Amino acid sequence: MTIYNLYLFDRDGQLLHYAEWTRNKQSGMTREEEAKLMYGMIFSIKSFVTKVSPIDLREGYLTYTTNKYRLNLYETPSRFKFILNTDVHAQGIKELLHQIYTQVYVEYVVCNPLCQLNKPIESELFAAKLDEVVKQSPAYASRPA
Amino acid sequence: MAEEAMFDFIHMEAVSYVFQGGEKISEHTTVPRIKHVKPKDEAISKLEHMGFATGYRLVERLTRESGRYKDELDIMKYICKDLWVTVYKKQIDNLRTNHQGVYVLHDNRFRFLSHMAAGKQYLQYAPRYLAFTCGLVRGCLANLGVTCVVTAEVTQLPACKFQIQVQRG
Repeated sequence: MTIYNLYLFDRDGQLLHYAEWTRNKQSGMTREEEAKLMYGMIFSIKSFVTKVSPIDLREGYLTYTTNKYRLNLYETPSRFKFILNTDVHAQGIKELLHQIYTQVYVEYVVCNPLCQLNKPIESELFAAKLDEVVKQSPAYASRPA
Repeated sequence: MAEEAMFDFIHMEAVSYVFQGGEKISEHTTVPRIKHVKPKDEAISKLEHMGFATGYRLVERLTRESGRYKDELDIMKYICKDLWVTVYKKQIDNLRTNHQGVYVLHDNRFRFLSHMAAGKQYLQYAPRYLAFTCGLVRGCLANLGVTCVVTAEVTQLPACKFQIQVQRG
């Protein structure tokens, strides 16, 4: 199992942070462009899924799976979006994303007076803690050689 | 957790309010300011004064059950243990003194800095988050009968040290 990369968007669709662990293929465009496309797609998928859903949807968690990877979207009550790409077998990703939100984002961005909340995150401590939490997760640990 | 966050956030706002006020005045007003007082120093001393007033009252409230302290060192131990635990939810990690009225309090993980950085990032902004605490300590000591000057120093976040210089005579 593997964790590939993570995008963090604020409620307006701005990319606040991007982190990458294993990524064998780059998209061939700039990060900004890629982020815009990613956000646009998530936005569309969300509205589509909500519209066609035969039952009432409330949960702030959504995944889609291709043959090769799985995209996990976790949305907080404050409409921040965490998007994590993993392989298709990864387990416990929802819990991991919740942990990233409460123990990394809230602790080291919200509780840091020097981080502006609507700007890309510059704090090195945030990046370090994020890396630590992801690398500690079982989904990251049991990766194939 | 929630009540601690409340204190953290209100302190954050106090700092940013005091500093923004200083910047705005220097940018937008045409009123001549006293030349040798920089807005930054003014803000720091404002925060320090807030801390002093808080500490002065706080220590009265906190020590209402305990007896008198036998000497200065005893008071310092009180600051390091009880006061710090009440306010910052941890003890001071190390207390040093030269027995001539200088005390140095080391906190290896100071609450207001611990969420900011681990290392040198944001080092230049660290002093403004220590001013309130310096005042707090000075206020507490003042009410316990010790007149002193409290300064703080950071070389690497989130560790910092507070130096207390007791004034005699």
